[in-house]
Amino acid sequence: MPQFEQVSVFGSLIFWSVLSFGLLFFILKKFAFPPILEALEMREKKIRTDIEDSEKLRNEAQEIKRELEETLKAAHGKAETIVQLAHDESKKAQEKSLQETEAKVRQIQKDAEQEVLNSRNKLLQEVRSYAAALTIASTEKFLKKALGDEDKKKLVEESIEQVVQELEKRQRN
Amino acid sequence: MESPLHHFEVHTIIPIHIAGLDLSINNAVVAMWVGLAIVAGSFMLAVSRGISPIPGKLQSILEISLEFIRSMVYEFIGEDEGKKYVPFIASLFLFILACNLIGLIPGSYTITSQLAVTGAFAVGIFILTLVIGFGKHGMHFLGILVPPGVPKIMIPLMVPIEIISMLARPISLAVRLFANMTAGHTVLAVLFGLAMTGPLWLGWLPFGFTIVINGLEIAIAFIQAYIFTTLTCVYIGDVIKLH
Repeated sequence: MPQFEQVSVFGSLIFWSVLSFGLLFFILKKFAFPPILEALEMREKKIRTDIEDSEKLRNEAQEIKRELEETLKAAHGKAETIVQLAHDESKKAQEKSLQETEAKVRQIQKDAEQEVLNSRNKLLQEVRSYAAALTIASTEKFLKKALGDEDKKKLVEESIEQVVQELEKRQRN
Repeated sequence: MESPLHHFEVHTIIPIHIAGLDLSINNAVVAMWVGLAIVAGSFMLAVSRGISPIPGKLQSILEISLEFIRSMVYEFIGEDEGKKYVPFIASLFLFILACNLIGLIPGSYTITSQLAVTGAFAVGIFILTLVIGFGKHGMHFLGILVPPGVPKIMIPLMVPIEIISMLARPISLAVRLFANMTAGHTVLAVLFGLAMTGPLWLGWLPFGFTIVINGLEIAIAFIQAYIFTTLTCVYIGDVIKLH
């Protein structure tokens, strides 16, 4: 096996491999690894910070959401109360308005009835006065006409009879 | 037919001899440098473009690989202690992965198929764990040889077993990587040799297998780099935590 037979090259193989490794180690450690390892650590740190921040933000968002939900719930309750109050108020106002209108209508009706009654009385009064005047006038004209004795007698008799009947009627009542 | 182990032979390209030591640059070293140049070049290209908070394709790949290694280190060593070992473990992973993968290119070389290299790294890591252990716990580090809850009478027996267990670690670490890389490449070489030497009506079969095995080898390159670095993390974690 050449690896065991070429003993003379062992020295150079060991020397150059160890020296080359040393050189590679020096170059990589001095120039290459620090920036790459730093970048790795920075990225890890950033990812960790980002995760922590996002976790924090998530918690904050949940807290805000919970608060908003509570506020919304309270607002809903308040709105319902307001709506209920408005409803009650409007019902009350409606009832009040209805009552007032009814009272007004009743008053107007009453006034109208009174007015009608007054008008009727006035009209009746007028009719009566006209009828009386007409009666007087017609009676006067009628009286102006010459009545015969027979007729006068008959008329007086009838009037007396009528008065007597009226008196008797009143007494019965 | 050429020996399937032929491609494990190291050929000197630039001979260098310093103080009697052969430090020649050979094909294995050049292949390793190509792999490492790709790794270092990719990282430097990404960094020179500027690290953006929204990564591009290259930055994403590098970030994923670093993130993968970092999480592995944190898992076995702990976040506080492990932070300072991330660059070392990441470099080790990338080094082994680059060496493993570059060897899959035909005509290239897998330096991790050399036991001398894997052994040197394994021993180096073993020594490093000892240094970390003694540096952190002083002489109390020797307590690692006595597992907790062991009756006192068992201690003379347990200490040699633990020493053997500790010494077996670098051996297993070195042999595992070397054996996996060698075996994979040998199988590939055998299959490809069969494909080349056999008649066309039969040769397509081993050639088809080389394609499948190549896919498997890519996975093994990643798995072995992962195992090597995971075990390194486990060993470092052990000496830091002391049981």
